[in-house]
Amino acid sequence: MSHGHEHHGEEHGHGPKVLPASLAAPEEALKAWRMRLLIVGALAAIVSLLAFSWTHEGRNHLLRGYLLGFMISFGFAGGGLAMLMLQYVSGGKWGLLLRRPLEAMSRTLKLVAVLVIPVLVLMKHLYQWAAFPNAAATAEAHAKGLMTQEQMLTANAKHAMLSPGSAIGQTIVIFAVLGFMAFLLNKWSLQRDADPLAGTQESFDRWRIKFENLSGIGILIYVILLTDGAILWIKSLDVTWYSSIYGLQFLVGQGYQVLALGILSVVLLSRFQPMKTLLRVTEQHDLGKFLFAFVMLNIYLCFAEFLIIWSGNVPDEIPWYMARVQGGWWVICSLDFICHWLIPFVLLLSRDLKRNKSKMIWLTCWMIFARCLDMFWLIEPNFSDAAGNLHLANNVGILAYITVPVAVLSVWGAFYLTELMKRPLMNVNDPHLEEMLEPEHAH
Amino acid sequence: MPRKEGIYGLLAEFNTPSELVHATEAAQAAGYRRMECYTPYPVEEAATALNFHKNRVPLVCLLGGLMGVTTAFLMQTWIAVWAYPLNIAGRPLFSWPAFIIPAYEWTILFSGLAAGFGMIALNGLPQLYHPLFNAPNFRNGATTDKFFLCLEAADPQFSPSGTRSFLEQFHAVSVVEVDH
Repeated sequence: MSHGHEHHGEEHGHGPKVLPASLAAPEEALKAWRMRLLIVGALAAIVSLLAFSWTHEGRNHLLRGYLLGFMISFGFAGGGLAMLMLQYVSGGKWGLLLRRPLEAMSRTLKLVAVLVIPVLVLMKHLYQWAAFPNAAATAEAHAKGLMTQEQMLTANAKHAMLSPGSAIGQTIVIFAVLGFMAFLLNKWSLQRDADPLAGTQESFDRWRIKFENLSGIGILIYVILLTDGAILWIKSLDVTWYSSIYGLQFLVGQGYQVLALGILSVVLLSRFQPMKTLLRVTEQHDLGKFLFAFVMLNIYLCFAEFLIIWSGNVPDEIPWYMARVQGGWWVICSLDFICHWLIPFVLLLSRDLKRNKSKMIWLTCWMIFARCLDMFWLIEPNFSDAAGNLHLANNVGILAYITVPVAVLSVWGAFYLTELMKRPLMNVNDPHLEEMLEPEHAH
Repeated sequence: MPRKEGIYGLLAEFNTPSELVHATEAAQAAGYRRMECYTPYPVEEAATALNFHKNRVPLVCLLGGLMGVTTAFLMQTWIAVWAYPLNIAGRPLFSWPAFIIPAYEWTILFSGLAAGFGMIALNGLPQLYHPLFNAPNFRNGATTDKFFLCLEAADPQFSPSGTRSFLEQFHAVSVVEVDH
């Protein structure tokens, strides 16, 4: 593949493209997008508060919707960090293309760390283990019929991990460690460009090894911390629930949404310089294929978990699914499957679609929406009023799952765009850059 | 089928891929369509110059996959519901979740085989005879270090003398007439 085309080229105008003089992000466009996001976010927040904050049920749903928004935001920030480390260890032009958007996502961890505070402060309204934080409280709750015997016993048994103090400690550790890794990777990335030896093999090797050494171990640390976070923030909404695949599912789901947002970012940025020159159809196609892999892996894990539990048919495990398929939830479950897997899968099979900018914009937005729908299906049925009973009557607050995440994600998006503006859109001291400026070939 | 006779095409030999691609682009611009490039390794630009972007392998692959998933799913349904109905842990006979994994495997198997064999068939293989092997320089160079462009006589634009002078303007190493 790489032979041959070097000879051919200059003589008939197929030569390499010139790197744009300014690699700065198109500030005006980003500011306009950010303004739109802030307006949408403010409207959604006002609507949420006006519509749902009057009743107890409405306020509960506001908090649950907020948890959804927080978890998706964490998916972008933490998942962005994981994908950043992944591209450092794997190499490749796709990684260089996405590097600055991924760095911007990882720098939003500080915002996400602020976003988690309301969840921690109000945790007793979300988690049984926080509402009844010790053996005496669970016994009393059981006596009053607020907890089943199984919930009481498991909450007591899981006390070391699932109790308010421990949850705050774990959250702090997660954000501190991830924040430190994000800080180092972002700092080194600027130093790499400023290297006096930039452009030499020596400099390439030195930085490549430095990034690899942190990223390799960093991915392992991330997977462990994410598993803990997913259990703590989402899984423990049902204190009796066990699943060893939960962390991995979130990891793959984050890859899914981060890649969708990464592709969306570079495709939208390619309306302006410098991304107009830097984004080739070849790399867009590669990213589309990568996205397809995540679509497959995601459904594979979801279905594998379901199949194992369905085969086992154990009373301890099946209620989790019963609560999510019965009483109207079958509609959401089917929609989740269709939106989350079937539609992206069928569309991404097409080579033309993966190479088409406007279609990829629609698809990646759709996938981010589908990820939120999936999270809704994971969160809401955990609560006793909703388990196996999806209803709107006397339960209008459930609509907060639409407005609150829009508000949270708009604020997150505005912060992401602010971070994206701060750096040139390309890491220049990287040997892949030269290849990205070469003419493209039909594959 | 009667044996084809006469000229198959004019074969131009080049030393570098860029000369080949240049000549191919010029031939396309001049209105030639029935042509083929022969290179010792894949040259992406030559495929571009030939407008060889789309082929039917993806369609064959898709059809193979659909056939695989349908066959496996229906076969398992038939076995479990009608042919050998067994009570397994009290589940319904039509327990579709259990059928998904084999159906998935068959999708991959059928689409893989369809893509592989479909590609071979669409390439016109196996082919025991090709007129180009009548050209001695083609036999020696096509798999080592030469780049060939063949403008075929089946093209309405083709004329033995006109096409020859067209090809000779590109500094080809040689332009030879190839018989069927």
